[in-house]
Amino acid sequence: MSDARIDGYARALFEVARAEGTLDEVEDELFRFARSFESSDALRQTLTDEQIPAAKRQAIVEDLLGGKATNTTTQLVSMVVGSGRGRDLPSIIDKLVARASSAKNLEVAEVRTAVALTADQQTRLAAALANATGKQVNLKVVVDPSVLGGVVATIGDTVIDGSVRTRIDQLKSRL
Amino acid sequence: MSLLGSASSLVLQAGTILRPAAEVDTDESGYITAHPFFPDRAEWLYGGIAFLIVAGLLWKFAGPGIKDGLAKRSERIGKEIDDAAAAKTAAAAEADQIRQAKGDIAAERARIVAEAEQQAAAVLSEGKARLQQELADLEVRVRAEIASSRNRTGDELRAEIARLSSAAVDQVVTGSLDDATHQELIESFIARVGASR
Repeated sequence: MSDARIDGYARALFEVARAEGTLDEVEDELFRFARSFESSDALRQTLTDEQIPAAKRQAIVEDLLGGKATNTTTQLVSMVVGSGRGRDLPSIIDKLVARASSAKNLEVAEVRTAVALTADQQTRLAAALANATGKQVNLKVVVDPSVLGGVVATIGDTVIDGSVRTRIDQLKSRL
Repeated sequence: MSLLGSASSLVLQAGTILRPAAEVDTDESGYITAHPFFPDRAEWLYGGIAFLIVAGLLWKFAGPGIKDGLAKRSERIGKEIDDAAAAKTAAAAEADQIRQAKGDIAAERARIVAEAEQQAAAVLSEGKARLQQELADLEVRVRAEIASSRNRTGDELRAEIARLSSAAVDQVVTGSLDDATHQELIESFIARVGASR
């Protein structure tokens, strides 16, 4: 799908979430759903399979998110999948998050950890990243077991890698 | 007297002349009837005439034939002599050729032997050089193969060590990452990032 169309969908989702007054929550839920969508081959194949009727794909989305996310988030994802744009869901959501962060003068900081961060850790990490980059950040935490341990933070084009995975890879490379 | 009569008389005379003295005919009185070597004069006359007639007839009728036969015989003998001379010349020439061929054969044999020896020496020399070159090439290849095998073995050993080490690192690190370690790593990261600017 073209960038213009992705931008159009991202803007539409952004406006709906803002109109509903749940932008922060929806943005966060959509971001986590996008990461799950990227990491799960089965989920990605199911939601992008044109052979499966749109109604069935939407039903799968509602089953997955029902009771775990806000109704707005569920409806927005269902709408994108039902319109046959499931393949572009991560790009649309990333644009939406970037737009939401920009609206708040924040920079999106994607943080990957092997275990979940506490609220206190998220606050201190956001402050540390802001101190390191000189920008206020919109922290998006993704629990990724492949990191093994430590933290990988990505702010724009800057990557701060303190993961055990990377250290092991470096050690293997030296070996 | 006919010619045959003359001839008979001559024969009788000859028989008388050739008869041994002991067997000389005598008459009843014991006188000798005729000289054993010299007949009577009449017989000389008749015999001479008969002889002349016979000789004339022979000269007349048989002479040309005898002359022709002798001429032909002479010619044949001459021809045979010429043929023999030619054959002798040819044989001599052939003998010369054989002698020359024999000499040529000896020279050719010597040349062939010399050439064969030369070729054998060349082949031997070439073979020796080729063998030496092949040995040198083989040695180079063997050395290269040994070096390659050594390097390959070293590389494989290093790769195996690296693989085992990697697997060991994964297991050791993954097994040692408890919750406290996770929290320590996260706190360390926050402190390190917060301290950097």
